[in-house]
Amino acid sequence: MTDRTAYVVDLPEDQSYSGSAKGEPDKGFERIWDAPPGIRYLSSVSHRVVGKRFLVTGFIFFLIAGFLALLVRTQLIVPDNTFLDSETYNQVFTMHGTIMMFLFAIPMLEGFAVHLIPLMVGARDLVFPRLGAFGYYCYLFGGIIVLSSFIFDAAPAGGWFMYVPLSTSAYTQDLSADFWLIGITFAEIASVTAAVEIIAAILCTRAPGMSLTKMPIFMWYLLVTAFMIAVGFPPLIIGSILLEAERLLGLPFFDIALGGDPLLWQHLFWLFGHPEVYIIFLPAAGMVATMLPTFVGKPLFGYGFAVAAVVTMGFLSFGLWAHHMFATGLPVMSLTLFSAASTMVAIPTGVQIFCFLATLAQGRPRMDVPMLFILGFLFIFVIGGFTGVMIAAVPFNLQAHDSYFIVAHLHYVLIGGFIFPMFGALYYWMPQFTGRMMSETIGRWVFWLMFIGFNIAFFMMHLTGLRGMPRRIASYPEGLGWDRLNMLSSIGSYILAAGVMLFVFDFFWHQRHGLRARRNPWGAGTLEWLYTPIPPGFNFHAIPEVRSREPLWDQPELLDRPAPQVEGALRPCTDHRRETMGNDPITGAPMQIVRLPHPTWTPLISAFGLALGFAATLASAYWLVAVGFAIALIGITAWIWEPSDSGVRRDSGLRGLRLPVNVVDPRSHLHIAVVGTMLISFALFASLLFAGLYLWNTQPHWAETTPAADPLMAGLAALAALSLLLFSWASRRAAFGAKVTPVIAVDLGLAVGAIGLGALLFLSIQPVDPYASAYAAVGWALFAFVAGYLAVVLYWSLINALRKAVGAVKPGQMLPNLLIATFAKVVAIMGGMTAAAYLLAGGAI
Amino acid sequence: MSDPAKSTLGEYGVQSALSPEGVGASAINGLTIGMTVAFGVLFVLLLIFIWAVVSGKLAPRHWWIWTGGIALPLVSVLILMGFSTVILQRITSEDPEALVIEVTGKQFWWDVVYDPEGWAMRGANEIVIPKDRPVTFRLKSSDVIHSFWVPKLTGKMDMIPGRVNSLPVMATETGRFRGQCAEFCGLSHPKMAFEVVVLEPEEFDAWIERSSGEARDAVTTELTRGREVFVEAGCPACHTIRGVAETGTLGPDLTRVGGRGSLAAGMYRMNQGTLAGWIADPTAMKPGAKMPSYNHLPGPDLRALSAYLASLK
Repeated sequence: MTDRTAYVVDLPEDQSYSGSAKGEPDKGFERIWDAPPGIRYLSSVSHRVVGKRFLVTGFIFFLIAGFLALLVRTQLIVPDNTFLDSETYNQVFTMHGTIMMFLFAIPMLEGFAVHLIPLMVGARDLVFPRLGAFGYYCYLFGGIIVLSSFIFDAAPAGGWFMYVPLSTSAYTQDLSADFWLIGITFAEIASVTAAVEIIAAILCTRAPGMSLTKMPIFMWYLLVTAFMIAVGFPPLIIGSILLEAERLLGLPFFDIALGGDPLLWQHLFWLFGHPEVYIIFLPAAGMVATMLPTFVGKPLFGYGFAVAAVVTMGFLSFGLWAHHMFATGLPVMSLTLFSAASTMVAIPTGVQIFCFLATLAQGRPRMDVPMLFILGFLFIFVIGGFTGVMIAAVPFNLQAHDSYFIVAHLHYVLIGGFIFPMFGALYYWMPQFTGRMMSETIGRWVFWLMFIGFNIAFFMMHLTGLRGMPRRIASYPEGLGWDRLNMLSSIGSYILAAGVMLFVFDFFWHQRHGLRARRNPWGAGTLEWLYTPIPPGFNFHAIPEVRSREPLWDQPELLDRPAPQVEGALRPCTDHRRETMGNDPITGAPMQIVRLPHPTWTPLISAFGLALGFAATLASAYWLVAVGFAIALIGITAWIWEPSDSGVRRDSGLRGLRLPVNVVDPRSHLHIAVVGTMLISFALFASLLFAGLYLWNTQPHWAETTPAADPLMAGLAALAALSLLLFSWASRRAAFGAKVTPVIAVDLGLAVGAIGLGALLFLSIQPVDPYASAYAAVGWALFAFVAGYLAVVLYWSLINALRKAVGAVKPGQMLPNLLIATFAKVVAIMGGMTAAAYLLAGGAI
Repeated sequence: MSDPAKSTLGEYGVQSALSPEGVGASAINGLTIGMTVAFGVLFVLLLIFIWAVVSGKLAPRHWWIWTGGIALPLVSVLILMGFSTVILQRITSEDPEALVIEVTGKQFWWDVVYDPEGWAMRGANEIVIPKDRPVTFRLKSSDVIHSFWVPKLTGKMDMIPGRVNSLPVMATETGRFRGQCAEFCGLSHPKMAFEVVVLEPEEFDAWIERSSGEARDAVTTELTRGREVFVEAGCPACHTIRGVAETGTLGPDLTRVGGRGSLAAGMYRMNQGTLAGWIADPTAMKPGAKMPSYNHLPGPDLRALSAYLASLK
């Protein structure tokens, strides 16, 4: 099973290092997994704690954004209303959309993912608990920055889409747009870190025997979602950084007078914005696909179809962004292509819906509360799907676009496709969080209030929109035919809100009075129900072998005895360390034992330093920015400076199978994570290149008049990139070597290569004035981007060299050299492409 | 026409895409009705199917997924794309002989130039077009992005700084149709509307005749005083009244301001009272309006100025 460890320095059994210096020998297995008490709870990194933090914080943001929605509906309840003035109204609808999309929907699904993935795949924690905790704090601090704008009376008022030029400093002079750009970009760190974590956790820490085809369907949905986040968020992150650079430094990325283009922002925004919708919908559909079989008592019908549909949807979602821009004057040919691509989404969606219906048809479903929410989801989401196909037809779109028809459509899709499944999921998985069942009776009231209220609020908006009411208007004149429809929508929204409030009441009520959950209370087939809720801090005493997609249904040995006595891997806790099983990503065969971190303050310190840096940028206190980033750097250094766990072999407890700890292998979870990180990095880089190509294509005059980069220096930079590539190849080879000290030369080579490439790129772009044109500014942005990555290579390779120099690395522990090899390879490629872009743009090639 | 006593505009259906009075809007409305009926029927069939499934009357089959999930959506979508493409072609094709009207979106009003290459008459916030003759709007913006939308005539088109977009229309009925900015453009986005007045072709020609040339002369002492106030108070810095002061281009052209049906970009009925209110405090009627307040004008001057402007028909 572990044959491919030919890569590994194969130390003889008796020479294998004895164990880890950082264990907690005074503690038994269960105590090792306990969350620390008191204030030290904040240092907890366990997925259960972090998942709950995400869910609770996300739900609070949901309530805040819902309250803002009620303000909107109250303002629109009668024509010419003066309840809110225009400015407040604009802030309210902007923040409603912003919070719902960025601070509620995505974090909420991250919360479910973080909490459920290890339980469902049979791991004791996520692979990167500290990264999860760090992401959460970034999200929390970013959300606080965005919300605090209300206190400073500078709440963003430019719409959640922040179109330029309205959001540039010429038309938004105060800090409101900066609060949005900085706060949201900071919070998005949580999304991309979650993407890396989800990919690595699902691919690398599954229970023995869980091949890809035996994974719970939810894992497929999350895996696709994570890849979509990895590719979908970068365009917005780059767009936001460019816009903030324009506001802060005056670089003319979107300035028409200097060859910028307002449509560039829209392309970048919707390249993110459309996949975003599927990023929100897919995990919710995955939860439906998980809950549905439980209430029918039969497995999901058409698992293969569903997986194929989800993967298809992931790809399709990146080819549709321009359907948000049908009214911007695109050529008829583009309109037709994007229209056709958009309608094609109906097929994978239809496949999933019919998989769900076929599953339902396998047996009479139990009508428990989660099941009601699933049926509500089917009803509402299908209507949203139909209206979605309608607005994919360009002529109809030209009438419906930016009218209340769209408001109706998007709420049918998002409330139907996310909120209803989410409430079902909260009822379903609540015992995992509180150990008690929520009330069936109150739950039914919650469902019906939400369902009826929702449809009253939003169904008639289709008509309001076609009667000509545009979106985002604070008031409307009487008598245009919108008055009664708006009154009805507002009343519906209050009913919907009453349902949500009743849920909140039920939540607090059930914590005291709810029935204690039995083991596997819903009779589910998936592994998260193996222990009686609340399961203790450790997920599994022993990680069971999995032979079925629904192990609790098909493997009687799992439920016929108390959960702690279920047999499996890793029951011995020899080193008193947190450990879980690592597997081959494809076959699922056990490959290594993964050591997991114990509680630590480093994620909080790092996130706090970054938050301080970003907040100080808003306040223009640049010395404080430096302090903040210095704190973050110290936190990160403390984080990564720890003894290596590699080079140890242990009994896995699985039929005498001995496995290496933290194996040095390209299939290692750490290496998979670096690959995921570089996927994100390359998507960021590609977004910048896209910006340059777009301007080159649409503003050819400016591309011609912008001075060229220095071709000689750019040519040398290309050579430097090649040398960095060579050093990364050497670093990969060295990682498997038996001697440590000579590898310091490779580390230093990487450092020198990084410095050289950075310096040469700087010299090549140096003749170009970044303020001269948008095109020139993008050239500098490319340089700044690659320079940032080169700085990471420099810092990381020096740390690696230092660790070797002080003797912290023993043979067989050079996994970091394998990781930096892949990292530096992609950075070298990006640097080389930048040099090539400089040569091409200057006409040298 | 609505109650003239009402200060704001609004009349049932004047902004509705569902009662089209233009070639484009009619074609789109046909598509709207067709899709609504087809999808309505499909949805009801699906509900019946779901009911049968939930009550356990059907056993699951793989062909459900092939037909319901793949074939049915594919066929419906292909049929839809056929209709959609034909209609798109029809509503976007421009007649080279069409009357060109250039409209520039500004925060928060519309600058209008009829036939910019020839006749070049400037107006604002109200567009007069002939029935049954092709018209092409050339859409621009001088600040942020706006969107030009007259639902009864055709779909919307964005006005993007640095670009020129075209929107062909042909009205099939006379009347007064309301349009509104459909792209969020800042503080007073909801108060950026306008009206399109559709005249019989011969009336339109007469209107051209009537509207060209200089503004009406002031015929009473009060109106003459009003004209003096216009010049003395500094209004010509931004506003043009042909024959009186022709250098101001920042604000709307006022040569025929009294003849327009509405004030403040389609938000209030045009009369001396609303005009006086506007001059005294524009931002009270429209937050974010660039025009400064002329509250300091003595009462008689304000009355004379508003009477003069109202007389410019």
